[in-house]
Amino acid sequence: MENTRKEALRIEKLSIQFGGLKALDDLSFTVYENEIFGLIGPNGAGKTTVFNCITQFYKPDAGHVFFNASDARQRGHLKRRDLPADGEMVDLVGKPVHRIIRYGLVRTFQNVEVIPELSLIDNVLIGAHVDFNSTMFEQALRLPRARREEKKHRAQAVKAMEFLGIADIKDQLAGGQPYGILKKIEMTRTLMCEPRLIILDEPAAGLNNTETEELAKIIHMIRENYHCTILLVEHDMRLVMEVCDRICAISFGKFLATGTPAEIQKDKSVQEAYLGEQEDE
Amino acid sequence: MTATIKPQKAIQAVLKNAHVQFLVFGGLLLLLPVIAESGIMKMSTLETLGFVLIYSIVSIGMNLLLGYSGLVSLGTAGFMGLGAYLAAYTVENLSLSFWVAVFAAMVIPTAIGLAVGAISLRLRNIYLAIATLCISEILMKTFEQLDWFTGGTAGKQSQYPTIFGDKLDRGGVFVVIVVVLVLIMMLTHNIVNGQMGRALHAMRSSEVAAQAMGVNLVKYKLVAFALATAYAGLGGGLYLFFLKSSYPSTWSLMLSLNVIAMVVVGGLRSIFGTVAGAVIIWGVPELVLKKLPVIGSISGLPYIFSGILIIVVIMFFPRGLKGLFDIIVDRIRRLSKKKVSAVPGKSADTTEPTEPEVQP
Repeated sequence: MENTRKEALRIEKLSIQFGGLKALDDLSFTVYENEIFGLIGPNGAGKTTVFNCITQFYKPDAGHVFFNASDARQRGHLKRRDLPADGEMVDLVGKPVHRIIRYGLVRTFQNVEVIPELSLIDNVLIGAHVDFNSTMFEQALRLPRARREEKKHRAQAVKAMEFLGIADIKDQLAGGQPYGILKKIEMTRTLMCEPRLIILDEPAAGLNNTETEELAKIIHMIRENYHCTILLVEHDMRLVMEVCDRICAISFGKFLATGTPAEIQKDKSVQEAYLGEQEDE
Repeated sequence: MTATIKPQKAIQAVLKNAHVQFLVFGGLLLLLPVIAESGIMKMSTLETLGFVLIYSIVSIGMNLLLGYSGLVSLGTAGFMGLGAYLAAYTVENLSLSFWVAVFAAMVIPTAIGLAVGAISLRLRNIYLAIATLCISEILMKTFEQLDWFTGGTAGKQSQYPTIFGDKLDRGGVFVVIVVVLVLIMMLTHNIVNGQMGRALHAMRSSEVAAQAMGVNLVKYKLVAFALATAYAGLGGGLYLFFLKSSYPSTWSLMLSLNVIAMVVVGGLRSIFGTVAGAVIIWGVPELVLKKLPVIGSISGLPYIFSGILIIVVIMFFPRGLKGLFDIIVDRIRRLSKKKVSAVPGKSADTTEPTEPEVQP
């Protein structure tokens, strides 16, 4: 079945070294379109490093990050010379960090990165940054195009906030909001650019049980309504097992196993990696 | 409730509009030259207020940098001075019009600022401040040495400008300054409340998150720096036409620090706050402190004053005068709410939930 599915993201032989430490060692895995894919591993396995290599915050020493950006032309966020050839996977390695979102790949952060001085809706609107075509002069003079764009994206932001049930507090300042709300703001922000792939870095961290259950529902809802692929790193095993279609387990930067949640739970090497770690403690 | 309330509400809504507020503010400022002409206010007071407004323009630029983008520049004075000399040179030596002079005063410092920024904006925090300080010092030394351009330490003299065939007087230049200030306030308001403003906010708050959202850091740092430089150059040009002369000693580090003080004391990320900051940092020492007995004769009094003020503000009012103003407004609202609810027979909740309007 997998052969017939379209690839969304293919990691190939990714390696990165910090000093003498091999954080990622020849790591490969593939995420298919419209899939919820989990990346798990014991502490220090290099999960966040993988994310940072995909989004180009780190430049990997070797390997490729192929991303399916077949709709890049329709998105219209890239300059013509940056457009990938039709039907071709784009290697993200070496691309500027701020251009990654223009291919349709957007991420959240482990420690929520929300601007406390702005209202919630303005925070969400930052996610639409690449959707604006009006120039600074058009914005400074509030020319028709700038006004039209602002209005359009504001409406879009309200819709996205309604989707996550936070539209009624949209004008409140982000500073001082509970953690759960801030997490939702970060999620809403990723939806603004109509992403193809959303990368969630530990979305359940700091949430209580009820909130985690709600999160699982939200992740499913996002996939259904926005027709995108979701890749997540998570410590909360219950969430991973509940929401993920497939999982990749890594340990010390090396590939361990990939498969459905049930397969992963049964996998010997995965059990060893986790139990081994517990014995060390 | 009744139809009579509606026009009131409409007026309130109009007054809440930031652009209307800027225009009303400008309109009130335009009364000042008339008051000065009539003799109620001294002409020297009008002059001081003119400088306050010029520094407001420059400080609003600094607020874009320091308040919104989180970048520090100590080079404001150098670029402002450059604007002043360029304006003087354009009018006096090249015999070109006021408009060309103002344009040159804005564009040339901005171009130099961009070139400098392209290199120095890769530096962070204190290192950026040091780099911009160096540029400012180099410019100041150049002003002292480059006689053909600046008149050296003897200073460069100019005259009141001619606009649309009219030779302006001091009051006339004051009007020009007010118009420019109001335009700058409106443009800045539009910029900071749009896509670009949000990008600057994102950059200040977290460079990592900003990049992930597609904000090109180098581009937006350069744009913020260029805007601040353009405002400084423009302020310098207006300064020249208002004072009719420029001396190298004016464009020292003290001025750059004063501009930062105006932003910090007035309130980061507030346009009206910045103007209030300029009134406090420039207007109060000139109009009040220097006229006090005994204390007024201490040399360097304005610096002592602004120094103490900065410490007090940072320690107790991190959001500056704007923050203080918000707290007071909030208190008054709450008090009036209590009074309303204390009246028997009336519903307690007649006051509407306060809408967090975009604050200018």
